[in-house]
Amino acid sequence: MNIFFTIISLLFSGALLVFLINKVLPKISGVVAFITIAVVSALFFTQVTVGESYHYMVGEIQMQFGVTYYTYIFAIIVLGLSTLASLYSIQYMQGKQRLGFFYSNYLLTVAGMIGIIFSQDFISFFIFWEIMTWSSYLLVIYNGYNSSKIGMKYMIFSAIGAYAMLAAIVSIKANYDTYIITEAMQNGAFSFSDHIYIPIMLLIGFAVKAALMPLHVWAPNAYSKSPMSFTAIFSGAMSKMGILGMGLVLASAYSYSNSESGNAILALRYTLGWLGGITAVMATIYALIQTDAKKLLAYSSVAQLGYIIVGLSTGTKLGVMAALFLAIVHGVFKGALFMVVGAVEKQAGTTDMTKISGLIRKMPWTFFVALVSIIALAGVPPLGGFVGKWMLYEALITESNNYFLVIVIFFSSTAAFLYSYRFLYGLFLGQEETDTAHVKEAPITMLIPMVILALILIVTGAYPGILFEPIAHGMHYLGFNDVNWDMSILVNVWGEESNMGYINMTIGVVFVVIFTFLTLKGYKGTKEVGTKDISTGGEVPAENENLSYQLDYFKPFERAAAPLYKRSMNKIWSDLGNAMEALFDFTRKIYTGNGQTYAIFVIIFLVILLLLKDTLFAN
Amino acid sequence: MEDLGLKIFGAILTTIMGFTVGMTYGGIVRKLTARVQNRFGPPFYQNFLDLLKLQSKKTNVAHGFMGHMAPVWIIIAAVTVLMFIPILNGNLWFPNMSFHGDLIFLLYMMVFGSLGMALGAGQTGNPNSAIGVTRGLSQMVGYEIPFVLALVALMIQYETTSIQELTKIQHETGVWNAFANPFAFLAALFASLGMFRYSPFDIVGAPAELASGPVSEFGGKYLGTMMSGGAIFAFIKLTLYVHLFFGGAGNADDSGILATLAGIGILLVKTFLLYMIPVFYGWINPRYRTEQAIRYFWGWPTALGVIGVLWAVYIN
Repeated sequence: MNIFFTIISLLFSGALLVFLINKVLPKISGVVAFITIAVVSALFFTQVTVGESYHYMVGEIQMQFGVTYYTYIFAIIVLGLSTLASLYSIQYMQGKQRLGFFYSNYLLTVAGMIGIIFSQDFISFFIFWEIMTWSSYLLVIYNGYNSSKIGMKYMIFSAIGAYAMLAAIVSIKANYDTYIITEAMQNGAFSFSDHIYIPIMLLIGFAVKAALMPLHVWAPNAYSKSPMSFTAIFSGAMSKMGILGMGLVLASAYSYSNSESGNAILALRYTLGWLGGITAVMATIYALIQTDAKKLLAYSSVAQLGYIIVGLSTGTKLGVMAALFLAIVHGVFKGALFMVVGAVEKQAGTTDMTKISGLIRKMPWTFFVALVSIIALAGVPPLGGFVGKWMLYEALITESNNYFLVIVIFFSSTAAFLYSYRFLYGLFLGQEETDTAHVKEAPITMLIPMVILALILIVTGAYPGILFEPIAHGMHYLGFNDVNWDMSILVNVWGEESNMGYINMTIGVVFVVIFTFLTLKGYKGTKEVGTKDISTGGEVPAENENLSYQLDYFKPFERAAAPLYKRSMNKIWSDLGNAMEALFDFTRKIYTGNGQTYAIFVIIFLVILLLLKDTLFAN
Repeated sequence: MEDLGLKIFGAILTTIMGFTVGMTYGGIVRKLTARVQNRFGPPFYQNFLDLLKLQSKKTNVAHGFMGHMAPVWIIIAAVTVLMFIPILNGNLWFPNMSFHGDLIFLLYMMVFGSLGMALGAGQTGNPNSAIGVTRGLSQMVGYEIPFVLALVALMIQYETTSIQELTKIQHETGVWNAFANPFAFLAALFASLGMFRYSPFDIVGAPAELASGPVSEFGGKYLGTMMSGGAIFAFIKLTLYVHLFFGGAGNADDSGILATLAGIGILLVKTFLLYMIPVFYGWINPRYRTEQAIRYFWGWPTALGVIGVLWAVYIN
């Protein structure tokens, strides 16, 4: 029994165990789930050697398990995030119903993701992909709000993706006679020369999970309606499985391409890049008009995945590196942010920003995590988000000649400041309402994972080299050689650099000087006041006066960008749905369900056969 | 060790210079505006007096953690950006780290201060502050588009993302970027109108209706510190424009006393003339609403920026 098998079977038996234990001791099911994942992570990071793999023969099919340097990157995201999220989940899910159902599906989802990472042949890849999809579907409908609609949308798009992927896998077997992923890659199955539809079908399958427009419509609702301890890994880790697949297909398409496939690849690069860019812009402008913090983050996830796909689509060293870096950092900060929202939901009862505000004094640690994560999300130096954005821009400007895409991405990330501010203001700043006077800081087991994630963001911002090392190895597997990296210096192909070391040093020194000055100067004369103690043009507001500014937050922007808001992919899909219904109505005229009509069809068919028999069966 | 000492001295010198110039320019504009409106106006050093008053207040009102951090963030952003732009290119007295951070870094770092201020303003709980912030952020999305288009045009045209390199190229060829890529320059110039927030883009502060917007709840040492940061920022924006489009200042690699003074003189003349553009434009304009301002930037300025990029790609 090798280590990969042990890890997967541990997760599966954990899922079963949690389900059974919940019948007897519902309180500890969360703890069991956490321990299972923690043990698995410990096993993975101590026992697994990157590069080794094991074969099994199932009938005639060779199945292969192992970890490559590329999938190792994603293993870090999945295991790190799900360990922390399951610890968070213990308190978050406390007092809720059907914990056995929740945790066993939770473990199954993690098992699915780990299985995908371990799979080195397409058959087991597909099986684990489906395990992940189904168990996550069950978690999406856990809360039961409009579950049929939201879950159905998720399921339909996942099914479309899965069928596309299955068709591609079968074609790979038929054309290249292999199920092993590396072999298919090296034989040029993704190289856009002979069978262009294979990589495209695979990309469709992966793009559904990565929420690329136009296949993203399931994401905002599914992310926001699931339990937050699950959304943390749903958006943080599971969407990265789509990125894993896309990276594999795209990068090997670039590195194993030949001269014939040049134009096709160029077309693909532009198409994917622009799809990613438009995804980013549209998701961003929808994020900034949301009033529910969960929904805002859900749209923001879609936007961030857009950047990652843009990075992958460049196909240059810096671009792919940016994409992988952003993928890890996005996992961290979005995981943290969904946990923050979950903590607010748990403590204050709602995440509707029109109902709550001014939680900063009540939940200072949660605010700290939110602040750090938002800085990373907005891409402001000195945190990790900036490093990723910097590399993405430099890649687009210096390497890919796709200049207008830079503007699109820039627009989207500037507009991202709007929803970033909206998020922090909506939940934590602004007037302190009397309705939220009872709110307390989140329990310690929820805070610990959040704070750890925030610290990771700070460290990776100062020393991005920590992440560059595994990424550089992973890119070597994808066929990019000589990937240079440094602990804290970012360099583009023109030789210009951003030295995070100097940047952090300057920021640190100025911070200490000014902070000390501002705190010490007139320390005794400084009086701390509450949010009612303000002057609104000389008037002192009364205690019960409503001074919250939460509705129509970015109305002026909405007005200015009105034409953009007219486009909605949801509407296009439902129009398509209506058109399909009309088509089905038409087919109903043929498939009436009436036996006599069918009898007539058979007779007509026979008559046609008889009439045409000389031409059809001439030989 | 001596080298480090010199660097620290230079950094402090740079900060003081940026602060002084920014404050003085602000005062001069106040005086000029007053004269144009047929008022007598305050003396040009009024801003210094204001700052002195604010910093010497015995009591201060603090608005929680973010309120305390907001001025700190503004100064961090101002000083950090100042360290990463070349003041006098290659001059020994103004050592900077412009080699270690490029234009994209500057773009993002400049937002850091505004974000800090926005968060601080948010915690005060004054709805006017939050309204001012949302207007400011929305307007920023407006003017950043032409600004970035202009920067991308320059970066492509000269295949560099470093400001120092851009200045050097202008020195060597003798042609200012304002003429080498006039469309990019115009786009950036329009963007600068929004950046300086004079009329018609002054709805963010809007003293009449918002009680000066984001800063309305700040006073004493907090407002004073913010004001200093703002002054440094004004200097930064002007210097950045001068280096990007007007050939920078001073002779590279000549650190003699005379050359340094001459360099500072050139820088002052250029920045002051540049500063007068948004100011003059402001004198003769009423105020735009936020959505009008955004639409303004997404109209001709963006179109010019697009032409600038095409120019950089196809003409050069």
